[in-house]
Amino acid sequence: MSEVRLQVQNLSKSFGITRAVRDVSFNINKGEVHALIGENGSGKSTLTNMLCGIHTIDSGKFILDGKEVHPKNQVEANNEGISIIVQELGTLDGLTVAENIFLGHEDMFVKNGIKNTNAMNRKANELLQQYGFERIKAQNQIDDYNFEDRKLVEIVKATYFHPKIVVIDETTTALSQEGREELYKHMNRIREEGNTVIFISHDLPEILDKSDTITVLRDGVYIDTVKSADMTEDDLKKLMVGREVTGAYYRADYGTPISDEVVLSVKNVTVPGLIEDVSFDLHQGEILGFGGLSESGMHEIGKAVFGASYDRQGTVTLANGTQINDIPTAIKNSIAYTSKDRDNESIVINQSIGDNIVLPSLGELSNKFGLLSDKKLKTFADKFAAQMSVKMQNVGQFVSDLSGGNKQKVVLARWIGKDSNIVVLDSPTRGIDIKVKQDIYQLMDHMRQNGKSIIMISEELMELIGMCDRIIIMKDGKLNGELLRSEEMDENLLISKMV
Amino acid sequence: MGTSKAASSGKKMSPTAKGYLVLLLLVFVSWAIFKVLTPHNFGSPANMLSYFQASLIASAGAVGFYFVLVMGMFDFSIGANIILSTIIGCKLAAGLGMGYAGLIIGCIVTGALVGLANGIFYVKLRIPSMIVTTGLALIYESLANIIAGGMEQTLPSNLRMFGKMPGNIILAVIVFIVAYLILNYTKIGTYTYAIGSNEFIAKNMGINVNKYKVLAFVISGAFLGAMAVLTISYGSSMVAVTGMASMSRNFIPTMGCFFGVAFKKYGIPLQAIIIGEFMINIIFFGFIALGAPTAIQDVITGLALLIIITLTTKVVKGEIVK
Repeated sequence: MSEVRLQVQNLSKSFGITRAVRDVSFNINKGEVHALIGENGSGKSTLTNMLCGIHTIDSGKFILDGKEVHPKNQVEANNEGISIIVQELGTLDGLTVAENIFLGHEDMFVKNGIKNTNAMNRKANELLQQYGFERIKAQNQIDDYNFEDRKLVEIVKATYFHPKIVVIDETTTALSQEGREELYKHMNRIREEGNTVIFISHDLPEILDKSDTITVLRDGVYIDTVKSADMTEDDLKKLMVGREVTGAYYRADYGTPISDEVVLSVKNVTVPGLIEDVSFDLHQGEILGFGGLSESGMHEIGKAVFGASYDRQGTVTLANGTQINDIPTAIKNSIAYTSKDRDNESIVINQSIGDNIVLPSLGELSNKFGLLSDKKLKTFADKFAAQMSVKMQNVGQFVSDLSGGNKQKVVLARWIGKDSNIVVLDSPTRGIDIKVKQDIYQLMDHMRQNGKSIIMISEELMELIGMCDRIIIMKDGKLNGELLRSEEMDENLLISKMV
Repeated sequence: MGTSKAASSGKKMSPTAKGYLVLLLLVFVSWAIFKVLTPHNFGSPANMLSYFQASLIASAGAVGFYFVLVMGMFDFSIGANIILSTIIGCKLAAGLGMGYAGLIIGCIVTGALVGLANGIFYVKLRIPSMIVTTGLALIYESLANIIAGGMEQTLPSNLRMFGKMPGNIILAVIVFIVAYLILNYTKIGTYTYAIGSNEFIAKNMGINVNKYKVLAFVISGAFLGAMAVLTISYGSSMVAVTGMASMSRNFIPTMGCFFGVAFKKYGIPLQAIIIGEFMINIIFFGFIALGAPTAIQDVITGLALLIIITLTTKVVKGEIVK
């Protein structure tokens, strides 16, 4: 029988009147990858944030190797043998790679109050080499590296000291396939060393493939702990949602003709260093997918269409001849955009849910004197928050309190409220649970049937195959093939054009 | 496509070399403009040395203020701190006969205590640093005025070693070395940048954010105290002004500090402060040589600095500037 590493005992945590975690108890063993799953807002991140000292515990306790632990911050957690890789960016600008890796642990390089920067850089470079990330240099500023590389630095930071428990919170959705493989490699290493990984992901096939044990939470309550080998995706969905997940997941129609009516035409668009000479048309009622590796340039397509790219060349033209060169013109002409980088580019994190939803619609909501009515704003926000089933106390709640999936719902509610005709969705289901994913797919299908046109950019090949009328594959900033919707299409066909 | 900037930087000039080149070019251009306009009474080697010595005064305070500014805070009590520190330093040195020890300890300890008060009030009251330090500046001014008894304080000529070479250079070099060591070779420097970058993450990394914010004000205050030593030694006397008149002393150290922030990306913030202050002094003395009216001097100096900082900062497109 496996030895218990961590006992979670009667753990509870509330934020205001929201009870995020309710009297949760379960055990996690040594030498396993233990997945934690549940819908958005089910309490997964709150629980692990308490373990890592990011949130305080209201009641209950964690017992690690027989000893109660209650770290007050991540450094104390590290000292107890617990570390975390977070969903969003966890490194700090203005510091070097080495300073980021050893932040909070500089004392090992300090003698008589003086920090030995050379020794710190040397040690960090050794670690980066051991991990196979030698292209990242310890002495360079972290700002010099892209999101993916910075995530790799976080892997080093979280694991170099061989912690007993490593929490990986929704990290894979932020990584390309190559980055994911790196992460999986280190998850295996940790397991083989007899240590434990707590793995949070909404990707159920990934969960089944990479974990040994799965604990399910629902609305902050413990539901069950099961062996991955004994489960199917449907079993997990049932446990997560509390009932059979029925009805269509992706679109069910095939052979639906694409309208001849072009609503948006992109001609010879180049964004230096990102995309090169890209041309395509978007038709009315069409879902046009863009797939490729994370760095293929596909994410820039969304920005280029929305007028948010810098130094863009070429033209983006609507059916009525209007040129889209900036964001205000795009919004005025009924184009909506949700960014992959939700927290930094889509949501105003320190504003309320209501403020976020009404933001692009203030013009329509103001009276003839330009004045806004609180009641009208609230009614508007309430309506679209409810339509997207945002899990919240009320629309006055701050977005920063919401889970990742609920933040995404707020972003979508904003654009549904705006009733845009062309919607650009970059990674719309990133970090989102199975039920909300289904809601978003159904929403997209509904919009399509109502004549709205959608550009869907995604690293999830299955959702592109399941939802799009056409899929354009990008490689090295250029278009590298186009595929029409068909039942025969599979991931391998797309991958062959991506790499 | 999509490779990291660091990975694709190739064999370009190093950022540090580029930073120095830009700074020295700016110094040269500033010098050249005034040299052309007023060739006979400006910009000789002796003049330049004199401008440089004058610039060391503000540089000594600016390298300390940099810690506060990088953390995202501000200090409107710089001038009041300098005046109060100077008055107390003068009193100890001359009034109580403590000589140089009184001058140095009086100024630096007073500066640090003022910084401590700024930091504690800021952390405890939890209101913006600009507001806290503006309010406290009024108190420091009044305190200086009371201590001075409304009289101009003069430093005796036998205690003005730091107003001329080599005393001023030695003190300034010591100040710069200490600032450089703190910024680059202690945890304080790392935490300064960490807190300035993302206070929330810094807190989660176990950094006692409030403690280091107070410490930044203390460091800044101590360096402003060193600036006070140089100020009184160079100028020989100090009047304890009131009614926020001390604010005029904020400008030069603050502007130098902006150079530091602008050149942080080149890895030479403190060097940029020193060279930046030198350039400000070149412009300042250039106007004096031209005999330009003060109002015109201020307008052109302000515009020149805005243009220089704008050109050198070169914000990445899309980056949010606050």
